[in-house]
Amino acid sequence: MTESKKQIHNFHVNGMHCKSCVLVTEHTLDEIPNLSDVKVNGHKQTVSFRGDFGEKTEEEVASELTKILSKKGYTLSVEKKNLNKNWEEFWIAGPLAVLFVLFFVLLQKMGLVNLMNTNEMNIFTPLLIGIVASVSSCMAVVGGLVLSMSATFAKEGEKVRPQVLFHVGRIVSFFLLGGMIGAIGSAFQLNAFGTFSLSFLVGIVMLIMGINLLDVFHGVKRFQLAMPKFLSKQALKTSDMAHTITPLLVGVATFFLPCGFTQSMQMYALSTGDFMKGGITMLAFALGTFPALAVLSFSGIGLAEGRNKGVFFKTAGIVVIAFALFNIINSFVAIGLIKNVFSF
Amino acid sequence: MFSLFNDMSSKTISLLIILAGIAVSGLIFFSDFGNKEGEGVVPQKNNVYIQDGKQIIQITAKGGFEPASTIAKAGVPTTLRITTEGTFDCSSVISIPELKIRQNLPSSGTTDIDLGVRPAGVLDGTCGMGMYPFTIEFK
Repeated sequence: MTESKKQIHNFHVNGMHCKSCVLVTEHTLDEIPNLSDVKVNGHKQTVSFRGDFGEKTEEEVASELTKILSKKGYTLSVEKKNLNKNWEEFWIAGPLAVLFVLFFVLLQKMGLVNLMNTNEMNIFTPLLIGIVASVSSCMAVVGGLVLSMSATFAKEGEKVRPQVLFHVGRIVSFFLLGGMIGAIGSAFQLNAFGTFSLSFLVGIVMLIMGINLLDVFHGVKRFQLAMPKFLSKQALKTSDMAHTITPLLVGVATFFLPCGFTQSMQMYALSTGDFMKGGITMLAFALGTFPALAVLSFSGIGLAEGRNKGVFFKTAGIVVIAFALFNIINSFVAIGLIKNVFSF
Repeated sequence: MFSLFNDMSSKTISLLIILAGIAVSGLIFFSDFGNKEGEGVVPQKNNVYIQDGKQIIQITAKGGFEPASTIAKAGVPTTLRITTEGTFDCSSVISIPELKIRQNLPSSGTTDIDLGVRPAGVLDGTCGMGMYPFTIEFK
C-alpha cells in the first residue's frame, strides 16, 4: 500500500503538559510501524498522522493507540475532553492548602528555635539544628523547591527516582562541600546582591512551577523551563540523563540557597579547619533536614495517581505559589527595596 | 435535590475554611499577635547606654531580634552590640541594607558593629532572609 492511500487521522491528545511531553508523544507514535507523518501540536493539544486501520472506527483507533500511549501517561480521544471538572477540585485543594500554610505559620510563631539551648557543639548539634531548620521558615525556601520539583516530576509519572536522586545529591554534596569549606577555610558566601538574585530567581521558578501544577493556565506552560525543541529532539534519546542530572543538580544547589541555618552551619564548618569535621557537620545537618524534606518530596507517591491526583496537584500548586511569593517578597526586604512585610 | 444541598453546604464549609485560614494567617503574619514582648506598645526597654563616649545599642539575636524596636540618640557615635546565644537560625546573619552591612554572626558571643554617627530617622534591619525585622529610631 502506497503512502498516499493512507488516511490522515486527527485526534486530541490528553495529558501533555510540557514541551517534552510533546516530543515523547511524537516519538512513541513514530515507532508504531503502521503510522507515518506523525505531527503533534502542543498548543492545540492535537496529533495528526497517516495510517491505515482498515475498517476500524475513529474511536477504535483512538483506544488502540491510547493503550500504547497510556504507558507514558497520555491518551487519545476523538472529542476534546471536557476540562470543566478541574475547577471543582479547588474546593478541596483550597482549604487543604490554607491549612498547610496556617500550620507552617503557627510553627514559626511557636519559636521552636528558642527551645534549643546549645552553647557547645557536639556531633548531635548539627543534626538537631537540621531538624529544627527543616520545620522553620527555611521550609519555605528549600521545602518549597523540593515540593514543586517532586510534584512536577510526579506529574510526568516519575514518582520515585528523581526524588531519590535529589536527596542523594543534597546529602552527598553537603558532605563534600562542607568538607571543602572546612579544608579551605573560606565559605562560598554570596554578597547581598548575589543572595537577592538567587532568592528572587528561585522564587520565580517556584512560582511558575506552582502555577503549572494547578493545571489551569495552559498558556503559562510555555514558560516552563525546558530545553529548546531542536536540542530536545536529540536529548530525547538521553532523556533518561536529563531526568537524572536535573534532580541531582537541584539537590546540590540547595547548599547555596539562602537559609540562615545552612549558612550558620557553614560558618561552623569553616571554623573547624578540617575536611572531615566540616564534612560531617554538614552531613549531619543534611540528615537532620531529611525527614521533613522526604515527607514533602515523597508525598507524590500514591497521591499522584488515582482519583485524588487533581486535588493533590492543586493543593501542592497553591502551597508552592504561597511559598514562592513569600520568598520573593522576603528577597526584596532583605536587600532593602521594601520595608519588612512578614514579622515572625 | 438532597445531594445538591450536600454539595452546597460542603462548598460553603470549604469557603469558610479558606477565608478563616487566610484571616488567621494574615493576623499572625502581619501583626504583633504572638510576638515575644509586644513591642511598639510597651515602653522602651533600656537597651541603650553610653560607654567610653560611644552610644551602645544592645540587641540579642536568636529566633529574631530582641528588642525589635529601639529608640536611640541621633548625632552621636553609635555601636550596635549584638549578642548571640546558640543562634543558628536566620538571625545569625544580620543585614542593614541602608548601611550596606551584611554580616555573619558567631553562634554564641558578642559582635560589635560600628554604625557611625546617625542622623535623625529610622534604621531598618533584618535577618539574612528578610523575615525577622528590627528597627532603630534615632531622635
